[in-house]
Amino acid sequence: MTMIKRRALVGLTAGLLAMTGMVGIAYAQTSLTLFSPNDQAAVAYTEAMVAAFEAANPDIKVEIEVGPGGTERDNMVKSRLATGTMNDVFVYNTGSLFQAINPVQSTVDLSSEAYMSTILDSFKQTVTATDGTLHGVPYGQAMGGGVLYNKRIYEELGLSVPKTWDEFMANNAKIKEAGKAPVIQTFGDTWTSQLFFLADYYNIQAVEPDFAAKYTTNEAKYAGNVAAMGGFQKQADVYNAGYLNEDYGAAVLDDGLRMLAQGDGAHYPMLTFAVGTIAQNYPDLLNDVGYFGLPGNDAAKNGTTVWMPTALYISANSPNVEAAKKLVAFVASKEGGCDPWVELNAITGPFLIQGCELPASVPTAVSDLGAYFTAEGQTAPALEFLSPVKGPNLENITVEVGSGIRTPEDAAALYDEDVKKQAQQLGLPGW
Amino acid sequence: MKNRASVISGIAAIVFSFFVFVIPFLFIILMSFKDRQQASLRDFSWPNGFHLWDNLVAVVSTRNWMMVTAFINSSLITVVSVTLLIVLAAMVGFVLARRKAKWNGTIEFLILAGLMIPPAVVPTIWLLQGLKLFGTLHGMILIQVAYNLPFSIILYRAFIATIPRELDEAAIIDGARPLDVFFRVILPLLWPVTVTNIVVQSVGIFNDFTNPLYYLPGSSNATVQLTLYNFQSQFNTSYNLLFTNILLITIPPLIVFLFFNRQIVAGMTAGAVKG
Repeated sequence: MTMIKRRALVGLTAGLLAMTGMVGIAYAQTSLTLFSPNDQAAVAYTEAMVAAFEAANPDIKVEIEVGPGGTERDNMVKSRLATGTMNDVFVYNTGSLFQAINPVQSTVDLSSEAYMSTILDSFKQTVTATDGTLHGVPYGQAMGGGVLYNKRIYEELGLSVPKTWDEFMANNAKIKEAGKAPVIQTFGDTWTSQLFFLADYYNIQAVEPDFAAKYTTNEAKYAGNVAAMGGFQKQADVYNAGYLNEDYGAAVLDDGLRMLAQGDGAHYPMLTFAVGTIAQNYPDLLNDVGYFGLPGNDAAKNGTTVWMPTALYISANSPNVEAAKKLVAFVASKEGGCDPWVELNAITGPFLIQGCELPASVPTAVSDLGAYFTAEGQTAPALEFLSPVKGPNLENITVEVGSGIRTPEDAAALYDEDVKKQAQQLGLPGW
Repeated sequence: MKNRASVISGIAAIVFSFFVFVIPFLFIILMSFKDRQQASLRDFSWPNGFHLWDNLVAVVSTRNWMMVTAFINSSLITVVSVTLLIVLAAMVGFVLARRKAKWNGTIEFLILAGLMIPPAVVPTIWLLQGLKLFGTLHGMILIQVAYNLPFSIILYRAFIATIPRELDEAAIIDGARPLDVFFRVILPLLWPVTVTNIVVQSVGIFNDFTNPLYYLPGSSNATVQLTLYNFQSQFNTSYNLLFTNILLITIPPLIVFLFFNRQIVAGMTAGAVKG
C-alpha cells in the first residue's frame, strides 16, 4: 500500500517534470523574436505589421514578445544585451538612451542598407553611433513636445494662439478670470513635469544654434545662461502666478488629459502621443484639442521641439541576421512602416520615411503639429536626441521647480551637477 | 470593564482590516465592471453599465490568449517548485535538526546568507545559460526553489526540533530504513508546517513578478503577473482591463487562503517558537 503510494509520488514528480520539458522546444523554420513595446497602439501596430510581413515572407515566422517601457525597459534591454539573450530584433529609444546601450557592439550596423536613403536625416542622426554608423529604423511617428490646448476655451474667450511667452501669460490671465485652470500640471506622473524644460529646447537653439554641440563637450551650461534656463523660468512663472490646477501635485497623466479634453483646464504641456489616449477616452472631444509649440520670447522665431520615435534594432547576437534584416527593411518601407499605422487610425505625428503622407483626417492637434513640419525651420529635435547628456534626476528637479520649492537658478546649477556623473560614465571628452 | 475594552478593540480591528483589505478589493471589483472612459477616472463610483463580461473577454483573448498560457505556466511553476521546496526543505531541516555535525554552523550560516544576500540578475542568467536552462520553465522552477529554500528550511528545522527523537528511534528499532523514517514517520508529522509552506510559498511564487520578468523571456513563457503589462504602459493604461486582469489573477491565491486559512496560523506559530 505504502509502496504504491510512494511510486505514485515518484510518478507524479516525474510527470510534472516531463510536462515542463514539453514547453519551449526549438523551431524548424526561420523564426525571429521581436521585443516590442507594450503601448496598446504599438502592440496593435506590431501585430498588423508582422501579419503583413509574414504574408510577404512565408519562410519567416515572427514571434512578438511585449515588454514594459520606461526605466524597466532600460533595465531589461541592458541585462539582455549584457547576457547575450536579447531577441533578434528589438525596439528601443533613440538619442541619449541609444548611446547608453553601446550600440557599436550590441547592435548590427545598417549603414549600407538601401532604404537608409529614404529615411529623413533628422531621424538618422538619433540612431548614429559614435563611429558614424547607422543602427536603427523608425518604429512609429515623430511627436511634438509643446502645449496641448483646449480650442473651445480659446473660442469662448476670443483668444488667439500665442507666439511669445508674454502673449501666453496674457492668455493665462484671461483664462484664470474666466474661472478655469490656465495650466495643467500632473506631478503624480513625475515624468510629465519635464515638458516645460524639454520642450523649451527649440527656443534655446533659436538663440544659440550650437548649444547641443557645446553642451556635449562641457562648454555650455544651464546655470547662468538666461536662454538655456528659460524652461525652468517658465515653469516657475506659471507657478508663481498661481496658474496651475489645484491638484497638480497628485494628478496623473490621465487626469490631465481629462481636464484638458473636458475644458476644466486650458493648456497642458505634453507630447502629442497623448492625443491617442484622448481619442480612446473622449472620442467626441478629440477635435477640441489643439497644439502649439512652447512659445519663446521672439515671435519671429516661433517653432516647436520634436521627439523622435523609438527605433527597431537588430541584436548583434542574433543567429538570424539575414531574416532580421528583411524585417527591418519592411519596417523601413511605406507598406510596413506607415500603412499599418494609417489603417489603425493611430496617427500622433508625421512619419519619418519619405513617401509616407499623413491621411486627410487626423486629429486637430496632429494637423497643428504638421503645420510646423511643412514650414521650413520651425522644428528642432529635443536635446536628448542631439546630445547623449541627459541627467537621471531631471524629473525630480522639475517637480521641485514646478511646485515652487526650488528657484530656476538653483535648479539649473543642480541639473548641471546631475548631468556631470552621467557624462563621465559615458566617457565623453571634456568632462 | 475588561470585556468592553476587548469588544471595542475587536471592532476597531474589524474596521481596520475592512479598510486595509476589503475596500481595495471592492475597488478592484467595481473597476472591472466599468467601461474604459469611466475607469480612467479611477474613483470610487458605481459603474455606469455592466461591462464585466466584455472586459473579461478582452482580457482573456488579448495577445492570442496569452492569459491562458500564463495561467498554465504559472500553475506549473507553482505546483512543481512548491513540491520540490517542501521535499527538499523538510529533508534538510530533518538532517540539520537531528544530526549534530561540526559543519552545522557553516551550513546554517549559508542558509541565512541565502535569506540576507539579494541574488544578482546577470550572474544568475550566466549560470543558467551555462546549464542550458535559461528561458525554460525548468530553469524558472529551479530559481524559485533556490531563492525560497532558506525560508522553508528555517521553518522546518525549528518544527522538527519539537518532535521527540524517541519516535525515530522506535521506528529504527522496528526495522525502518532512513528514508522510511523520514517519509513515513517524520513527514506526516510535519503537516502543520507543510501547510504554512504551501500557502506562503505558492502565493509568493504565483505572484512573483521580477523573477519571471528577467529569467523567463519569450511570449510563450508568460506568467500571470506579466500579463498586467498588456494593459498598463508608460503612456497609456486601460484601467478597466487592468483591474479585470488583477481580479482574475487574484482568485487562485484567494482560493488557497480560503482552504488553508485555519491551518496557516497554527503552522506559523508551531514553526516559529523554538529555535
